[in-house]
Amino acid sequence: MAPSTGAGPEAGRRLLAPEFLQKLETLSLLSRKRFRGAQRGDRRSLARGRGLEFDDYRAYQLGDDYRYIDWNVVSRLDRFFVKMFSEEEDLDVSLMVDTSRSMAAGRPSKLLLAAQLAAAIGYIGLTNLDRVGVTAFASTTASRLDRLRSRARAVDLLEFLDRLEPSGETHLGLAMRRHLATSRRRGLLVLLSDLFDPRGYEPALLLCRHHRVQTFLIHVLAEEEVSPRIAGDLRLVDAETQQAVDVTVDAEAVRAYAAARDAFFHGIERFCFRHGIDYLRTSTAVPVETLVLRWLRQGGLLQ
Amino acid sequence: MSLGAPAALWGLLAIPFLVLLYLLRVRRREHPVSSILLWQRSAPTLAAYRPARRIERSLLLLLQILAAAAVVVALARPTAIVRGVEGGDLILVLDLSLSMRARDVAPTRFDRARDEALDLISHLRPGRRAGIVAAGPTPQVVLPLTGDHATLVAALRALEPWDAAGDLGGAVLAAGELPLSRGGRIVVWTDAAREGLPAVPHATYRIVGTSADNVAITAFRIARDPGGAEALLRLDNFDDRARRVPLDVSHDRVTVYRDTVDVPGGGSRTVVFPVAGTGEFRARITTHDAVPEDDVASAVLDPAPLPAVLLVGEGNPYLERLLRVLPVARAAATRSLDPAAWGSYGVVILDRVAPGPVPPGNYLLIASVPPNLPVSAAGEVRGPEFRTWDRTDPVLQFVDLSSVRVSRALALTADGGRVLAGGDAPLLWAFEGGGTRALLLAFALQDSDLPERVAFPVLLANSLAWLGGGPIEIGAGERLEIPAGAASAAELVDPAGRRGTVRAIDGAFLLPALTRAGVYHLRTEAGARAITVRPAARPAGRIKPGVAPAPSGAGGQGPEARGPLLSQVPLWPWCVLGAVAAVATEWAIATRRRGGDA
Repeated sequence: MAPSTGAGPEAGRRLLAPEFLQKLETLSLLSRKRFRGAQRGDRRSLARGRGLEFDDYRAYQLGDDYRYIDWNVVSRLDRFFVKMFSEEEDLDVSLMVDTSRSMAAGRPSKLLLAAQLAAAIGYIGLTNLDRVGVTAFASTTASRLDRLRSRARAVDLLEFLDRLEPSGETHLGLAMRRHLATSRRRGLLVLLSDLFDPRGYEPALLLCRHHRVQTFLIHVLAEEEVSPRIAGDLRLVDAETQQAVDVTVDAEAVRAYAAARDAFFHGIERFCFRHGIDYLRTSTAVPVETLVLRWLRQGGLLQ
Repeated sequence: MSLGAPAALWGLLAIPFLVLLYLLRVRRREHPVSSILLWQRSAPTLAAYRPARRIERSLLLLLQILAAAAVVVALARPTAIVRGVEGGDLILVLDLSLSMRARDVAPTRFDRARDEALDLISHLRPGRRAGIVAAGPTPQVVLPLTGDHATLVAALRALEPWDAAGDLGGAVLAAGELPLSRGGRIVVWTDAAREGLPAVPHATYRIVGTSADNVAITAFRIARDPGGAEALLRLDNFDDRARRVPLDVSHDRVTVYRDTVDVPGGGSRTVVFPVAGTGEFRARITTHDAVPEDDVASAVLDPAPLPAVLLVGEGNPYLERLLRVLPVARAAATRSLDPAAWGSYGVVILDRVAPGPVPPGNYLLIASVPPNLPVSAAGEVRGPEFRTWDRTDPVLQFVDLSSVRVSRALALTADGGRVLAGGDAPLLWAFEGGGTRALLLAFALQDSDLPERVAFPVLLANSLAWLGGGPIEIGAGERLEIPAGAASAAELVDPAGRRGTVRAIDGAFLLPALTRAGVYHLRTEAGARAITVRPAARPAGRIKPGVAPAPSGAGGQGPEARGPLLSQVPLWPWCVLGAVAAVATEWAIATRRRGGDA
């Protein structure tokens, strides 16, 4: 996959409505973990220092800044203690968008919904001075938008996402390995994919776990993947691999599909729960506004 | 149930192939999906992949098998055997041949056939029509299609066999011409003794009779000869075994000839013997065979084969002399032109008179033109010649007019009738109609040399025979029309002595079909005429039952030809209907399913 060229200035507006963007400015990304940031930001970090939020006391040591000595404590205890503050740093937000051919399914397409979600999350991050990066991946190719910071780069983010086109096969493990290999900081990783990877989604997510990256998995599905509306003797052709399977779709077959689908979903849910991965499953039938303003807030990604 | 084409059932072998094709069916629509991952994962539990389960669950396949089976069974032409005759209209054809009088089936073949037909009528469902065709010597539609059972029963009861061979083939073909409704049937009762039966579609033959035992008198004639009279009698044995047959010939209940004749099996014997006297002779053989009706025959030797003749005129020696010689019943002469005196004569000769209108009767007109006949005379012609004459007419049979010279004759102008002889002008004119038969000779005998020619007595005898008729001999069933003359009614006495009245219509007695062999007598005020119905000819005496034509061209006679009257109800339309219903149901189910998998 590669972003197509020629996106106009209206790209962001096509992806997300200006009114919706205004609503997003009131939100911020919520990280369950605190990571060390590269620059000062609006978020508490593990680094203690020049922030505004009090964190702890410790005994004065040579070299400490006199300005942080709490003289009230000194007067009471007659010992020097310095106040420690949580340093407010930026959050490193990585948005991984699956652009494989299977993401073209649905009305609107899963890819469009994923791009809209990524745009919304990225926009929220940029407005909160977080560092936002976007990786569009399939199996063989991946395009990446360098980490952006500040709202001024929102246009770049939206244009990048607007130009995404579905192509290639899903290879979550490879894409995740490449992404993590180039990431210098741990942060929040939002993965948007349909998880239709014949090799399985587990290696990729385990890789995130290994790198202690807070992962928020948004499972995007088309409505026809949840409830197939097909019948008869069919040769189902995989949009990515072009592999075919002959199926006589009758009530029995639909029941079997539903059973396999539920098992697939439960497997993902159990896996994410076991490994501390936030998981949200949605379909193209749900509007992006509802997803962002309601379900992502309830899911703990936004506040 | 029976199958018309059981070989078609081999088509059922196509059903396993249908199932195989269903299993191997590769006509799958390609349908792109985002991923087949979940479909592949559902495969282990997907019953649809297992052929046995698919067959078990596939209503569509079941319907296809049903449709195919129904079509195959329909091609096998299944029929259900039911008692009676099913279907639409019914045409009942009864053979009225002499052989149907045979008593090898009690009481007779015909009575058995008629009883079956009556039984069939009594079981006709309301709304079904039936018609009756009689297979007499001339086929006759006795009753067109009607739903009136009472009329049908009455018409059946009025039927009787004739002493002649019936034209069964013609009757069956005539029945086939009737406008039968869909599913209509023709049921034919016959013994099929003489001719091959036509294989008419929708015809069911009922063969009655078992025996071939019959010896019959097939000819009995008496003719005059110079030495008196001689009788000829022929016996035919239609059975295979030789018979010794006593023969007795009587006249006025007195035996005049008796003999015992040996007739070989399948052969015939002719007996010729002299007889004396005139009148009716009756021959009888004693055989105790199946048909006693053809063991009796009658013949008439008429004392006067020509009618009684009245000569009206001033006198004609030629005619008077000839009338004394010809075998006329009686002859008289008068000068009176009063028609009231003419009634008791068969023929009136008006010789050179100017009569007024003549009443109905038979007239030989010699240079006399009654005003009420369609002919007129306008002056005379001199020296007319006989250039042409109709040699085929009974009046001119054996008459040679080529050398007859006529000095003068009436210049006739005919407005009707027919000219039998003449040249530039008609010289002999015949008329028949309105109860009148007339022959008009345009010239007086004295104005020609005709009386001196051999043609004269022959012409006069022929004329009197045609005008007044001699003895009548016909075959059974032949139609007969006899001039009534002045009579308005006549009494007809059949050979059994039963009497009936015949009314004159347009001056003629149209006799009903004379069905019995023997001598009938037609009596009027002018006298009685004997009508001899000849014994049935040789083919009619053959009574050995034949076989019905095989249905649908197969060998052997149909199962319905003997035994209880059964009919085959075709079941193939129901099979076709079932196939159509199965296909329609399959189509409806297939199209109702989204995407369809037909």
